[in-house]
Amino acid sequence: MTLRLDTRARVVLCFLAVVAAATPTLAQTAPSVAVTGAVSQPLSLTAADLSAMTRATVTTNSNGIATTYEGVWLADVLKKAGVPFGAGMRGAALAGYVVASASDGYQVVFSLGELDPDMTDAQFLLADKANGKPLFGENGAFRLVIPKDKRGARSVRMLTTLNVVQLRK
Amino acid sequence: MRRRGSETLMRWSIALSMCAAIGAVLAQEPAFRWDIPAPFPKPPVPADNAMSTVKVQLGRRLFYDRRMSVTRQHSCASCHRQELAFTDGNARAEGATGAVHPRSTMSLANVAYNPALTWANPTMTSLEDQALVPMFGTDPVEMGMKGQEERFLREVKSDAVYQRLFPRAFYGVASPYTMQNVVRAIAAFERTLISMRSPYDRYRYGGELEAISESAKRGEMFFFSGQRGGCFQCHGGWNFNGEVRYDARPDVRASFFNTGLYNVAGVLSYPAPNTGIHQVTHRTGDVGKFRPPTLRNIAVTAPYMHDGSIKTLGEVLDHYAAGGRTIHSGPYAGVGHDNANKAPAVHGFSMTDQEKQDLIAFLESLTDTAFLRNPAFSNPWK
Repeated sequence: MTLRLDTRARVVLCFLAVVAAATPTLAQTAPSVAVTGAVSQPLSLTAADLSAMTRATVTTNSNGIATTYEGVWLADVLKKAGVPFGAGMRGAALAGYVVASASDGYQVVFSLGELDPDMTDAQFLLADKANGKPLFGENGAFRLVIPKDKRGARSVRMLTTLNVVQLRK
Repeated sequence: MRRRGSETLMRWSIALSMCAAIGAVLAQEPAFRWDIPAPFPKPPVPADNAMSTVKVQLGRRLFYDRRMSVTRQHSCASCHRQELAFTDGNARAEGATGAVHPRSTMSLANVAYNPALTWANPTMTSLEDQALVPMFGTDPVEMGMKGQEERFLREVKSDAVYQRLFPRAFYGVASPYTMQNVVRAIAAFERTLISMRSPYDRYRYGGELEAISESAKRGEMFFFSGQRGGCFQCHGGWNFNGEVRYDARPDVRASFFNTGLYNVAGVLSYPAPNTGIHQVTHRTGDVGKFRPPTLRNIAVTAPYMHDGSIKTLGEVLDHYAAGGRTIHSGPYAGVGHDNANKAPAVHGFSMTDQEKQDLIAFLESLTDTAFLRNPAFSNPWK
């Protein structure tokens, strides 16, 4: 009886060891978006992390094809990293900006002020799904979607990093 | 007696009216059904040339009718061959009388969505108007139909197939046998030449993640990366030729680009008469600007560029990687890279042999064999 319990315990321990060993590997290989720079809480967000945040959708129309993108408002992501949107977006904070970078080196700059939903009506979505499915191919695993832009050039595809820069302390 | 006669007359009158109404309903063609897979939009259709199945059937007959040329041996399909995505495989098209066109035949795949037609004419936006150019143009002669109208319409009127189709396609028209209706029917057929079922479409829009090779997937990333190929900047959108017209947005304007293919000495940097939209606008800044063709089925439409001067896809990629073509000697010698009108998007890029293969694999994944073999687009006279 004792021997059987020991065996079960060993099996459970082995299983836990395998899971523990595998978990960091999975975390490393899962695509992620890094929020870096002048933030109090740097982040590395996977699709699983984003799925636990408040979700949002926007629908775009490109040459007659409608696409519903799903993800998290960019402001919510930056807030989670410590960017002071809302009442805190004044003075030196308004001299801050975000550099959105793609895996191919493409970069676009946004001022923190324009990203603050308390300041403008613009919409900035960090998307990880399109029409209910994870992004893939030319979109990469993550992209920005800015539906009110007249051109798509700022809607960075293959997004990997959001680096916050503060010009004034 | 007079009253009874009046009632009889009224009854006959009502009966005849009902018969006429029933006849009119029976003569109406069923609503046209597009063969367009999701999520693509329908193309725009002009208000004065509604689509109908019988009109498309008529247009297909006319498209392949060799009597519609001065030699009675040349049809639209002579230069627009289905198996070549409705191109002809020649560097430059050859007309019925042997006259060589200065430019290459363009594909008709998804032609209904093009914001402008032909290589370099921003004002040519109607398929009905465009069809008149090869039919009646004299510089060069393509089908040579100028002066042949009466002869052709006489033959059409006496053809049993057309006798069946014309009155139904243009129902209620007293004299349906006109050249205007000929081009309307051809345009209706051309609007059905829809190519949206390539392996890439199945991958990108159909959820079949294994529909294209890993090499093609890498090529897609290179194509759509502004930092690498940047090809999408001219060949963007789902039709790979920039913005398209569709039913809800029929007035999109076409874009034209100088790709640095030439930079010959003199006032005009592109060899005449192929100076791009400059031929229409006469603006020096428009020299060398041509419309980007769709890349759908591009693997079967060699040779390439507006004058067919590049033979293979690999050589086309070399041209773009160099940021323009250099011609070392001869009348067209020049460094295209330095053409003053060259589009900023043609910036040049580095490309390994593997990346080149990947790009070609991606472009090959745009070949829609269902389109190339669709029996609805084939020669109905055979």
